[in-house]
Amino acid sequence: MSERIVPTVCPFCGFGCRLFVKSFNGVPVGIEYVRHDLPPNYGRLCPKGASAADFLRHPDRLTKPLKRVGEGEPRFREISWSEAIREIVEVFKKIRRDDPNAAGFLSSAKCTNEENYLMQKLARLFGTNNVDHCARLCHAPTVAGLLQTVGAGAQTNPFEDILKTRAIFVIGYNPAESHPVVMNYILRAKDAGAKLIVADPRRTRTTWFADYFLQFRPGTDVALLNGLAHVIVRDELYDREFVSKRTVGFEELRQALARYTPEYVEKVTGVPARLIEEVARVFATAGRGIIMWAMGLTQHTTGTDNVIAASNLMLLCGYIGKEGCGIYPMRGQNNVQGACDMGALANLLPGYRKVVDDAKRREVAKLWGVEDLPSEPGLTVVEMMHAAASGKLRAMYIMGENPAVSDPNLNHVYEALEKLEFLVVQDIFPTETARFADIILPAAAWAEKEGSFTSTERRVQWSFKACDPPGEAKPDWLILTIVGKELGLPGWREYSGPEDVLREINEVVPQYRGITPERLKKNLEGIFWPCPSPDHPGTKRLHVERFPTPDGKARLIPVEYRPPAELPDDEYPFILTTCRIVGMYHTNTMTGRIPSLVKRWIGPYAEINPSDAEKLGIRSGDRIVIETRRGRYECVAKVTNSVPPGIIAVPWHWGANVLTNDALDPVSKIPEYKVCACRVVKKG
Amino acid sequence: MAKRILINLGRCIYCRACEVACEHVHGRSRIRVFEYAEIMAIPLNCRHCEKAPCIEVCPTRALYKDDDGAVVLQPLKCIGCMMCAIVCPFGVPELDESNKIMAKCDLCKSRRERGELPACVTVCPADALVYGDVEELMVEKKKLVVEKVVTSLREGTVPPFLASMGFVGKSR
Repeated sequence: MSERIVPTVCPFCGFGCRLFVKSFNGVPVGIEYVRHDLPPNYGRLCPKGASAADFLRHPDRLTKPLKRVGEGEPRFREISWSEAIREIVEVFKKIRRDDPNAAGFLSSAKCTNEENYLMQKLARLFGTNNVDHCARLCHAPTVAGLLQTVGAGAQTNPFEDILKTRAIFVIGYNPAESHPVVMNYILRAKDAGAKLIVADPRRTRTTWFADYFLQFRPGTDVALLNGLAHVIVRDELYDREFVSKRTVGFEELRQALARYTPEYVEKVTGVPARLIEEVARVFATAGRGIIMWAMGLTQHTTGTDNVIAASNLMLLCGYIGKEGCGIYPMRGQNNVQGACDMGALANLLPGYRKVVDDAKRREVAKLWGVEDLPSEPGLTVVEMMHAAASGKLRAMYIMGENPAVSDPNLNHVYEALEKLEFLVVQDIFPTETARFADIILPAAAWAEKEGSFTSTERRVQWSFKACDPPGEAKPDWLILTIVGKELGLPGWREYSGPEDVLREINEVVPQYRGITPERLKKNLEGIFWPCPSPDHPGTKRLHVERFPTPDGKARLIPVEYRPPAELPDDEYPFILTTCRIVGMYHTNTMTGRIPSLVKRWIGPYAEINPSDAEKLGIRSGDRIVIETRRGRYECVAKVTNSVPPGIIAVPWHWGANVLTNDALDPVSKIPEYKVCACRVVKKG
Repeated sequence: MAKRILINLGRCIYCRACEVACEHVHGRSRIRVFEYAEIMAIPLNCRHCEKAPCIEVCPTRALYKDDDGAVVLQPLKCIGCMMCAIVCPFGVPELDESNKIMAKCDLCKSRRERGELPACVTVCPADALVYGDVEELMVEKKKLVVEKVVTSLREGTVPPFLASMGFVGKSR
């Protein structure tokens, strides 16, 4: 009989809160609320973290491997682990013989670094780069954009630097709902005199605390950011020394910015020219400034351009590589940073080595004991669905992802998943995606296993095992180890545990070289990558001396405003945008099963401006139907001034992606979740 | 010295983590957050009044003030008559129908005895709720105001109450 309180990393957002899970004889009993001295949260939690232990023993948990029986309405029967593995191996072996590129693998930003590393290794040794994960749907433009401008697609400074800054520019990001503990840092910075500038089409809860609020039209991010940069260049408010010593491309940028006068930008974005002038001045003259963004900036067909425009602004101000400054692309999943670092991306190998770079690729191949690895960039998340629908992709292995709610244009996703010859879903709950599966494997949840997670500030933390998995559920790393072995992949080896995998990661991923399991277990504060050797303290700030580009300088790259892929017309007169709410998380697989959250954040709704609501005869609480060219979605109306006229905002947790557009950003392949055209009708 | 939970007005982000944490400790939340006109939110729990009317009217003397100054209910003495709820200016005491007694915030008595903060204060991500010795908390608040005044003087923007007294900031 024993009670244990064990430090884990919260399974929800990317902030990386330390969460203490209490268990009794291996059974989880709750979260221990305690103020401690561990960053980044020091015991503070959001409602999701405060109730995270409640889904661990939910009756819906998958406890045995399941196999589909019969066609049509899915019915599953329990099978043994050995039978499940045998079935999977049989099909995947056959596909590997025919064409390895007919298989697709989805890794998970909810899983540990070790598990993501194994998943991408499995795919690559299988013979394909068709391995991706949901970073594609959130921060792919951040990675693609920042790689071009500053040479590394990660948050540059630690959260503690927010407390030292003088100006915080938040664009397309609502920390009050998506990372509540970040608000602690922002409000304390404000106490010390920092100015908060919020740019968002919606009047979010974060704007309650803003000194300046720029309410711009969805999809006009580049115009807005260029407008601010225009004023900064025109009035010579930029950091001359920084720009001349540490960047290239200023002249081209200056020319491109010339036409983004505040008056022109007002016409495009709807933000008053006077306000653009003032905000540009306040931000550029603050001395120390940071920019924070999230899905509002990235989920556009111009996502990469948006990121580059934001990066230009920061480089002009000289707010990179210094204390109290920095770029903060706020990650949404507890290990989306780590999953990217581990190379669970169709175009990148571990440590951000490009698959097309022969030398770098063979370097990884050699470490894995094989001649070479596939060199063609693989299919990304959304491309996999297209390929499945067209029959090009025959089988998928999905670990801890729920594309049947999270992908855009869901009706098309259903069709694609239906068409697959074989689908394996490995998860903790029977998700919407699992309905399409042939084999379902029960996985252990975060507190039921060990491993490392990398938060959005590049802090790698070890999460300890707090309790046992229910039934026969197994940790993802163990399942992958077995599958890889049974497939007989060349170069595959069996791993004795997460520590064993992390030791291999230390060899393969240069940024993680010194982040050993021993150090992580001893040091609960975690270690910031890059950490090149076991005696290196880790790197809290990037780009202090030079940028990781060939000449060590950052690039200022001109980008032009392009309108979104789909705009309102007579048939679909409103702009639809998606958002999230503090009490629910992503596809609700976990939060939808936590009673204290479900009773407070009840069911799906859509926000509509009072003037639009009046025209349509809609009142708060009425049932409405939202329609786009791709689907229809029924929910409850919430009449509110937080959206301006002409815009409908809908939290996507309950399946609103039946409506969204799967048009892709040509560079990063992120779909345009944040803007499409819709119409609204009252039901009745 | 009396201890209290103080609400930092204008800091609540309406995330309701306090409610969720309280519910996990007490089975039902004894703090509640109210959003006002989509511009601010205020969490409200028992104020643990100095001259608590609930203690005065309780016919079975089920309510008392403990050493920290918290108004605490003794469940075995309570008969669920609602008198405390009737006189409470904040509508704090609620009827716990399953146990046939009243339920109210006790500033997490069991947690305090272990030397921990009340659950709502522990989790509050925005520090909208703070707990401690009332006198010390008020000194902290004064300090913050002074800091703000000094910062704005340094930056050349003068808060209205100082401007009305003739103070001018450094010109930019």
